[in-house]
Amino acid sequence: MNLQGHTPGQRQGTSRGLVIAALVTLAFALVPFVPGAPDHYLFFYLFMVFVYATVAQSWNVVAGYTGQISLAQHAFFGVGGYTTALLATHFLEDGGFYFNPLLLLASGLVAALFAVAIGIPLLSKLAGDYFALGTLGLGEIVRVLLIKGGSFTGGSAGVSMSPEPFETLMPHYWVGLLLAAGSTLAVWWLARSRAGLALMAVREDPIAAAASGVPVLRVKVGAFAAGAFVAGLAGGLYAFYVFAVSPGGFLNLSWTLYPILMCVMGGSGTVLGPVLGAFVMTAVFSAGNVYFPGAHPIVSGALIILVMLFMPSGILRVREGRARARKTVQQVGKGPQASSATTPR
Amino acid sequence: MSGLAILAELLVNGVLFGAMYGVAAIGLSLIFGTMGIIFLAQGAMIVLGGYAAYWAFRLLGVDPYVMLFLLLPGSLLVGSAMYQLLFRRAAAMQDKNTSLLIAVGLSFMLESVMSLAWTPDPRSITTGYSSGSFQFLGMNWSITRTAGFFVALVATIGVTQFLRRTMIGKAVRATSEDMTSAALVGIPPHRVNMIAFAIGIALAGIAGCTLAATYTIDPYFGFLLSLKALIALALGGLGHVGGALAGGILLGLIESGSSYLLPGWGDAVGYAVFLLVLMFRPQGLFVRTVTKT
Repeated sequence: MNLQGHTPGQRQGTSRGLVIAALVTLAFALVPFVPGAPDHYLFFYLFMVFVYATVAQSWNVVAGYTGQISLAQHAFFGVGGYTTALLATHFLEDGGFYFNPLLLLASGLVAALFAVAIGIPLLSKLAGDYFALGTLGLGEIVRVLLIKGGSFTGGSAGVSMSPEPFETLMPHYWVGLLLAAGSTLAVWWLARSRAGLALMAVREDPIAAAASGVPVLRVKVGAFAAGAFVAGLAGGLYAFYVFAVSPGGFLNLSWTLYPILMCVMGGSGTVLGPVLGAFVMTAVFSAGNVYFPGAHPIVSGALIILVMLFMPSGILRVREGRARARKTVQQVGKGPQASSATTPR
Repeated sequence: MSGLAILAELLVNGVLFGAMYGVAAIGLSLIFGTMGIIFLAQGAMIVLGGYAAYWAFRLLGVDPYVMLFLLLPGSLLVGSAMYQLLFRRAAAMQDKNTSLLIAVGLSFMLESVMSLAWTPDPRSITTGYSSGSFQFLGMNWSITRTAGFFVALVATIGVTQFLRRTMIGKAVRATSEDMTSAALVGIPPHRVNMIAFAIGIALAGIAGCTLAATYTIDPYFGFLLSLKALIALALGGLGHVGGALAGGILLGLIESGSSYLLPGWGDAVGYAVFLLVLMFRPQGLFVRTVTKT
């Protein structure tokens, strides 16, 4: 765990990293202008990558950085989606538009408020496996509430928004890119900030963190709410894309498990790991859908198992570990006592 | 029939059916106790056991309660192999996400393999006595549910006695208490894990067999069962065999009671109780509080 400050060399490296990241984001933002691109299957693939990467980052903050394994990201994703759909159908009469940024923001905020309300009792009482179990129960309660919500939430059929104004996936694509890049940037900032240090301190040792003056409960609830906010945004965006919000589609545990898989595969508790995981896993799911329709959960399931067996700490972590090992070897080689030694190893 | 009599019958049925949750929860409890992971694929394994019983009945005419004894050694073997192939490496790791995700992957795979091989249609075993019932204490008792209850009871007693009386059982308990110390006194952790895991899968097989005989199964039923087993486990207290059975029975009672009083809310009431118990009595409802030193 890199808890100490950054060396000047690293800072130089990060500013170059930021430039590269901005260029890559810009390149993705220009993709819709490539002729024929918005009608290609890959365009849809990229949109899904952005949605998954956003949810994955939301879990990354809660579990990767703060160490609280949440199994309720789908609940916040669903609350976000339902907020958008319900506001659009019940309170905005005509619905003659699609894509309202305010609705999206409302989705995030409602999810975050819900997370604070539920997070204070849960996090003050539960930790570790018990917290994971509690959040699992939370998702199921939300699901039953939405099914039993009568005509307001549309029961098990859910809510349908008017698909009429839909013309192109392009706005969704850009908003998706914005959410994915924004959440990644937020995580990057978090990883280097004092607040992020508090999160990691809570993850490593809550008692020691409390003893050093970190308000543990507030930090945990804050991370939980921030994650919920981001997941809620993603849910709102996805609702604008599918136009029909239902318990089966939104309150589905896959919206928690797939992002976890992406995080763990890419490297949870790293900035870019979840993004990398989202690219790889969405490619696998999409390829499975195209080449093995019907059987694709088998492929995905097998892949999950294989990745966990052979790369349990993620792609980035494996690289990081190797880089660290190389650095130590170099330092040993440069040391004054080792100057006479011919081979550092 | 008066409302009260209906309620009484519902509650009895809840108790009988809840015992099946209890058996599933005991399996989860053993695996959690030794390996420290929540084995989310338990429900899928139960459904797999149910299909085994179903096909044995359909193709070979084997009675599900005979199949119970045939399934036992088979599922023990399957469980041991699964531990060695899938969980051996992950069990040794500090990070429990890995084992959790392996279980999730396994559960996805099993669900879709079963759905592809045997279609997603719900299936049930219909024997001559399936819809039969007998009169006792002025109530109708379903034969299959009552049989399921006694199977659950025998399984629980079997596991408790195994843990209490045999050397291996004591090793399993020691590992649940403290893995490092158990390893220090010479208990091989992987063998203990494997045995606990195998028994957990065997219990899933037993639960599946009785489930297929009383109820309908479909490939995607497993996840719900895993959740129910988890709730039962939390009600009874993690790592407590008798408590897990009691937790399952209590969950059955809660579900049937709320299906009478608040139709459609049964699941939500179950989860709400689960959350409350987790928060206020995380050691379970049936364990006298002992502070561990």
